[in-house]
Amino acid sequence: MTAEMLKPRFTGARVTRIEDARLLRGQARYLDDIAAPGMLEMAFVRSNRAAARILSIDTSAALRVPGVKAVWTFADIPITLVNSAYPVQQPVLARDEVRHVGELVVAVIAEDRYTAEDAAELVQVKYDPLPPVLDTRAAMTDEPRRVHADRPNRFYHKVQETDGFQQAFAGAPRKLKLTFTTHRQTGVPLETRGCAAMPDPASGRLTVYATHQSPHNFRAQLARVLGLPENLVRVVVPEVGGGFGIKAMFYPEYVVVAEAARRLGRPVKWVSDRTECLLTDAHARDAVHEVEVAFTEDGRIVALRDHVLGDTGAYPFLGFAGAVGEAGWATDMLTGPYKIPYVSITIDCVFSNKAPTGPYRGVGGPIGAQVHEGVVDAIARELQMDPADVRRVNFIGPDDFPYETPTGNVYDPGSYRESLERALALVDYERLRRQQAEWRKQGRYVGIGLCSFVEPSAFAESEAGSIPYEAASVRIEPNGTVTASFGLGPTGQGHETTMAQLIADQLGVDVKDVVVLHGDTDSAPFGGGTGGSRSGTIGGGAAVRAGQELRTKLVKLAAHLLEASEEDIELTEGKAQVAGVPARGLSIRELARIAYTDVGRLPEGMTPGLEVLVRYRPPMAATYSNGIHLAVVEVDVKTGFVRVLDYVVVNDCGKLINPMIVEGQIHGGVAQGIGSALLEELRYDGNGQLVTTSLMDYLLPSSTDVPRMRIEHLETPSAAEGGFKGMGEGSLIGAPGAIANAVSDALAPFGVFVTDLPIRPEQIVRWVRQGA
Amino acid sequence: MMSEVQTKTTVRVRLNVNGAVHELDVEPRWLLSDVLRHQLGLTGTHVGCEQGVCGACTVLVDGKPERSCLMFAVQAEGHEVTTIEGLTPADGLSPLQEAFQEHHALQCGFCTPGMVVTAAALLRDRPNPTEEEVREALSGNVCRCTGYQFIVDAVLAAAKEGRS
Repeated sequence: MTAEMLKPRFTGARVTRIEDARLLRGQARYLDDIAAPGMLEMAFVRSNRAAARILSIDTSAALRVPGVKAVWTFADIPITLVNSAYPVQQPVLARDEVRHVGELVVAVIAEDRYTAEDAAELVQVKYDPLPPVLDTRAAMTDEPRRVHADRPNRFYHKVQETDGFQQAFAGAPRKLKLTFTTHRQTGVPLETRGCAAMPDPASGRLTVYATHQSPHNFRAQLARVLGLPENLVRVVVPEVGGGFGIKAMFYPEYVVVAEAARRLGRPVKWVSDRTECLLTDAHARDAVHEVEVAFTEDGRIVALRDHVLGDTGAYPFLGFAGAVGEAGWATDMLTGPYKIPYVSITIDCVFSNKAPTGPYRGVGGPIGAQVHEGVVDAIARELQMDPADVRRVNFIGPDDFPYETPTGNVYDPGSYRESLERALALVDYERLRRQQAEWRKQGRYVGIGLCSFVEPSAFAESEAGSIPYEAASVRIEPNGTVTASFGLGPTGQGHETTMAQLIADQLGVDVKDVVVLHGDTDSAPFGGGTGGSRSGTIGGGAAVRAGQELRTKLVKLAAHLLEASEEDIELTEGKAQVAGVPARGLSIRELARIAYTDVGRLPEGMTPGLEVLVRYRPPMAATYSNGIHLAVVEVDVKTGFVRVLDYVVVNDCGKLINPMIVEGQIHGGVAQGIGSALLEELRYDGNGQLVTTSLMDYLLPSSTDVPRMRIEHLETPSAAEGGFKGMGEGSLIGAPGAIANAVSDALAPFGVFVTDLPIRPEQIVRWVRQGA
Repeated sequence: MMSEVQTKTTVRVRLNVNGAVHELDVEPRWLLSDVLRHQLGLTGTHVGCEQGVCGACTVLVDGKPERSCLMFAVQAEGHEVTTIEGLTPADGLSPLQEAFQEHHALQCGFCTPGMVVTAAALLRDRPNPTEEEVREALSGNVCRCTGYQFIVDAVLAAAKEGRS
């Protein structure tokens, strides 16, 4: 190991992003920017009923519209998606029955989108309405009916209890009962979903452009559904305008578009409009946690019981039934950063006549944290203790790692207590509490909310990848520049920069000389994609290992050519040189030229070229980031308006690759958390109509809703290559609980304790009236 | 209810976009955003909602930020339209765009052109805005990735250095 390896130039630095220029210039190519000669466009007729039998579909008027190429129903495309774990049939176009508003019924393919939409309006579908299944509790007992006639609505049931729970629970001196609810929300990436399929009759191959987080997973699913060999399907993920989990799913529109392109022999594109997105992008959350906690007089939690009711909508997504994923994560992480010895968990998930649920950043993490942090704050209120003190009493300590939770997770070291103390110091907590008391006397209701979280990351399995490794293909080109390729699926995380930083440090080249490719299954090595906060840790590990392997070869070649020993060779600033003797050196460019085109000079046994393919699998099933969010909010008790006055995050995701990018991720997650806690709700009415189908109804946080945030990093390394931990989701895991607890704290004089998110202004006004 | 579709009629418009005049045949119902993107190939203008909420499609019309998804292309006749392409130098980045890069004011980049267009108009009218004024000016542009902080920082930094 040479000196410069210990002093990385780029890893850990605030390197500005390589991908930014094309994005800022407006030259990036997103899905809807892709055009091909002869491209047709698709529009869909979607169900406007939550539950109904289809009596008839009349497409004749639509077919007469000039420019319309085809109008198809299930009879034309009889393809059905089946999740292998919960086998219910999901026809890509509704067959005989519709099960949620927004379900695809008819596909219209025309010369352009305007024409396709005109024709779609002329399709007449006659429905015989059925009573919709909308209430989760009623659905449990198949009331008012079954969503799928051949299966009970409750499709998932799991019970897990620590030995000795009953005794421990019964024996504890204090108990509390709380019910936490988070309503339906969704990711809302600014770019809507879409895909474009292009057949190549000459080769028989099909190229599909798709807004997706996992190119290879998309290819596998499409190839399987269409019965095509994978080497005849090329998936290209172009620039993607945000994903947040919803673009990790495989949607029926993609099948219809690909099949249309094959049948018509023409490129076909479909891009979702915002209403379609709100109707059918994977919905998320929508879970009820009925919690009972047993604790001691000094605030120590002894036992925690949680019964989760989750609603997954009408169909399970392929590979990921949202309610099961949400409840699984939330309960798996139920004890968070605390030493709670006994848990009892029951999960029930049902089908309903609502849109399917799937992943949204953090999956069950936000609700899980809302539960354990709500429990801690409820105990604090009950015992009249400071919420920080209840946390101190219960934290897993620095000497407890590796710590096995009662749900079987093995936490690697983190900074639970330290992050709390840092956050309190950042706001001068004691002074802030005194100030809060003063404000209260003046009739200002300011609250302080804490949310400590543990973020499992880089899982052996996640919704995006379901593989425990990632691959990096790295080659030094004959002129000495570097090209790397990954099976990742970034949607804004900056992998072209972070992966380049890691590789550049291994090879001693400038970060700008490393081009990172991704998204094209024809050039990328097989990979799991981006999701579950896995790319930095697993993909980054692959980048480091691939760089190391190439570096070894470069050193060997340089040592041979410079007649020096390998131990004496260092790679720095684009050169391989004898350490401390820059005059005895060769540029990487010269070494590359020799490796490819002057191969007679290679040492004996060395293969020509400078190219490696490395797969990296971390040594553990997951690594656990942690941190704490502290929110200070002011509640206007007359209007119910909540203003966030201050926001502090102390975050520990192990070694940082690029602090600037990490901070950007945190800022974005906090904004989403503020939306989740105060604004965002997908609301269905009593007939199962979604009434939040525009961004005027589904409210997103704006620049005036999100406060200036202060972030402090702690770095407790993981055992993975580089010491990295994942951190893409922790900020959205921590934020909703922090806001909820801050609002509870602000409204404590009215006896309010928040358990339902989002908190709506009219609810606050009601609480204040009742409590005053 | 419409039962038969009439033959589509197009009208000829002259659009002044980024200083160049284009004669185009458009249907009167075509949105300005669609015509910019699909007829003129100016795909830097992004469409995020077509509901006038997200601001991704923001362009300047006679120097004022407007949502190109809320205008028909025919309405733009007689006005000067400026898109992100019109605010971008032939090579490299404008000072405001550079500030966005330096301050990590973008992640997925989808809202970015609209943000830059809105911020450029702000800095032209108010060269030294306060943070509150920047936040107010950007409040009609949704960003789902950044939490806005680094965007605000970039605009304030660009103002401080007298660049836009």
